[in-house]
Amino acid sequence: MLLILLTFCGPVSDVPAQPSTDRTAASSHPVILRFVSWKPDHQRVWDEAIAGFTKTHPHISVVRELAPHSSTAYHDLLTQKLKNRDTTVDVFFMDVIWVPEFAAAGWARPLDGRFSPTMREEFLPATVAVGRYGEHVYGVPSRIDAGLLYYRQDLLTKYSFTAPATWEELIHQAERIVAGEQSGNPTLRGYSAPFKQYEGLVCHMLEFIAGHGGSLLTPDGTTSTLATPEALAAVQFVRDRVIGRLASRAALTYQEPESLSVFLQGHAVFHRNWPYAWELATNQTRSTIAGKVGVASLPGFAAGEHAATLGGWLYGISAYSQHPDEAWALIEFLSSQATQKKFAQEAGIAPSRQALFSDPDLLATMPQLSNHFAVLQSATARPRSPVYPAISHLLQRYFSRVLAIDGIDLAQEAAITDAHIDRLLALTRTAP
Amino acid sequence: MSFLGSIARHRESLAAWTMVAPALLVTLVFALYPVLDSFWLSLHHIFVGIPSLGRSFIGLENYFNLLHDPVAHQALLVTLAFVVLSTMLELACGLVIALVIHERFRGRGLVRAAILIPWAIPTVVASQLWRYIFNDQYGFANLVLFGDRVTEYIPWLAYPGVAFMIIVLADVWKTSCFAALLILAGLQVISDDLYDAAKVDGAGAWQRFWHITLPLLKPALLLALLFRTMDAFRVFDLVFVMTQGGPGDATQVLQFYGYQTLFTEGRLGYGSAVSVAVFLMILSLSLIYLRAIGSNLLERRRT
Repeated sequence: MLLILLTFCGPVSDVPAQPSTDRTAASSHPVILRFVSWKPDHQRVWDEAIAGFTKTHPHISVVRELAPHSSTAYHDLLTQKLKNRDTTVDVFFMDVIWVPEFAAAGWARPLDGRFSPTMREEFLPATVAVGRYGEHVYGVPSRIDAGLLYYRQDLLTKYSFTAPATWEELIHQAERIVAGEQSGNPTLRGYSAPFKQYEGLVCHMLEFIAGHGGSLLTPDGTTSTLATPEALAAVQFVRDRVIGRLASRAALTYQEPESLSVFLQGHAVFHRNWPYAWELATNQTRSTIAGKVGVASLPGFAAGEHAATLGGWLYGISAYSQHPDEAWALIEFLSSQATQKKFAQEAGIAPSRQALFSDPDLLATMPQLSNHFAVLQSATARPRSPVYPAISHLLQRYFSRVLAIDGIDLAQEAAITDAHIDRLLALTRTAP
Repeated sequence: MSFLGSIARHRESLAAWTMVAPALLVTLVFALYPVLDSFWLSLHHIFVGIPSLGRSFIGLENYFNLLHDPVAHQALLVTLAFVVLSTMLELACGLVIALVIHERFRGRGLVRAAILIPWAIPTVVASQLWRYIFNDQYGFANLVLFGDRVTEYIPWLAYPGVAFMIIVLADVWKTSCFAALLILAGLQVISDDLYDAAKVDGAGAWQRFWHITLPLLKPALLLALLFRTMDAFRVFDLVFVMTQGGPGDATQVLQFYGYQTLFTEGRLGYGSAVSVAVFLMILSLSLIYLRAIGSNLLERRRT
């Protein structure tokens, strides 16, 4: 029997030496694999999955280092280790926005030989595409995310509405419902979403901008397009109609968990989140609105013109890992059909394997999967650049400033930010 | 005799150097080296995400860019406002606290110990506490002000100016007691004879405070001001935990900006330039303060 060691942000000094009976002299050397991960929402499911791996690979023990739940905090911790060429990192997660940076910096090992073209075909094309940079593929899709609209099915039914197709429709429905529920639920607001100055703000604002026919960069990725009329109009809409009106001004202080908790406590009619929120919203112990929730595509500005930001996580192997073969074995196991199905069923994580979207068992418990499939296929990616973290900071700053500061000149701020981002992008091109 | 004497002196200075050496070595390795290395890095153009750019030496270009960087300007303004406001308030509160715990009353020891609790709490924990206090839904501030009228609850941290003031408030709450401790030490060295003499001369309590306590407290006040200014300049944890620089960059301080450029964006050269700039500002401020404290002590000796 092998023990799984769980560590919390720190190395472990001892690994159980186990003189087990089934280990023969012929078996491989014992190997300790270090998997740096964020703190998962469903600890137990991960523990079980890794226990399953060590059962079939008795010579490998997996040590997990848990970083904070926040993507940026995890990024800073992980890249600090990789900058130092730390050999105690074997397997890690990459956010879809980090692949260019990890590839260009030489932190992630190219996986072309291991992650074969036939294997890639089993995954959603969009998830494989984000794992590529230049000539190589660096990541195996763990899960795919795209922004979704969660709503109070009970309230929409009560006022005989169906899920809104446009933001105007959503505002109209929210106003009617909030007015009608005023006496019974005075704190009910129309909408809850993350608008704090952080990465999530970029994700959500991209959905408004892309839903309005705008973009963050030109298609060739060389020029920032915040000052285009489409992008400006979308930001203006959020500033004038969403913050402090449809949504409480408090949304300016919300990251995902806070905005989700507002929805789970029944204080919002509509809510924007990733697929994982479904499991939490329908979970009797965590949610006060279990059984009253629906999920749909985010609305657009004209019917049918909706946009969702692409998110998700890929497994990668550190360039400094001394056990790439064992690391690959772990990744193969964790991204297998069986493990992804377990994650989907028990943790509500949207799979990245195409076949699972038509899996009868999964569809029985997650009927929304078939809709997700369409949303995930057409999701909008954030700019793909090795300097994305710097671009994102400029975007966060811009969005937060124009949403939070009264009377600020939107067009001027957009032009200033465009100029800054263009300078950054020029830098990547001049690189020899 | 001079020969033997010089050997003895030589031996003595050798012994002195041997004894100082470990401390000197530690200072060189852990204080001077990082500063010099940061300065060296700040003269380069390094983007971790684009290794093909290499480590090109660009002289002072990062510093010129810093002078024209609107985010850095905003961060400098916010930092300066934070330093001035928080140190002034901390000194005022610290003085009041020190005067109270200097008086003799029952349970003074207990009060003196209790006063230090905010300072003993790690800043990250204190920041979380303040974030909860000003939470829009279940925060203590809203509960006290509005009670059950939940519809009137205010999202404090969503307003740029208010969020900034909350950061100042959290810092004042946390470190006033530290200022108080330094000022208390200053109060304790003032001889009671002076007060007795003043009383004989018919000076009232206010006159005694104004003409005896405050002038004699000046060195302690300056020392507290020095420590607090240096600390306030380096504010980071409060911002990191409570606001991440938002909303709208209202709480973006220099140290957090440096952290973002260094650790998240991987701009090692530019981020180092931000750190060195902060270091130079703190250094020059401390030199000014130290001169003030020094001349102040000299004046006292003359009188």
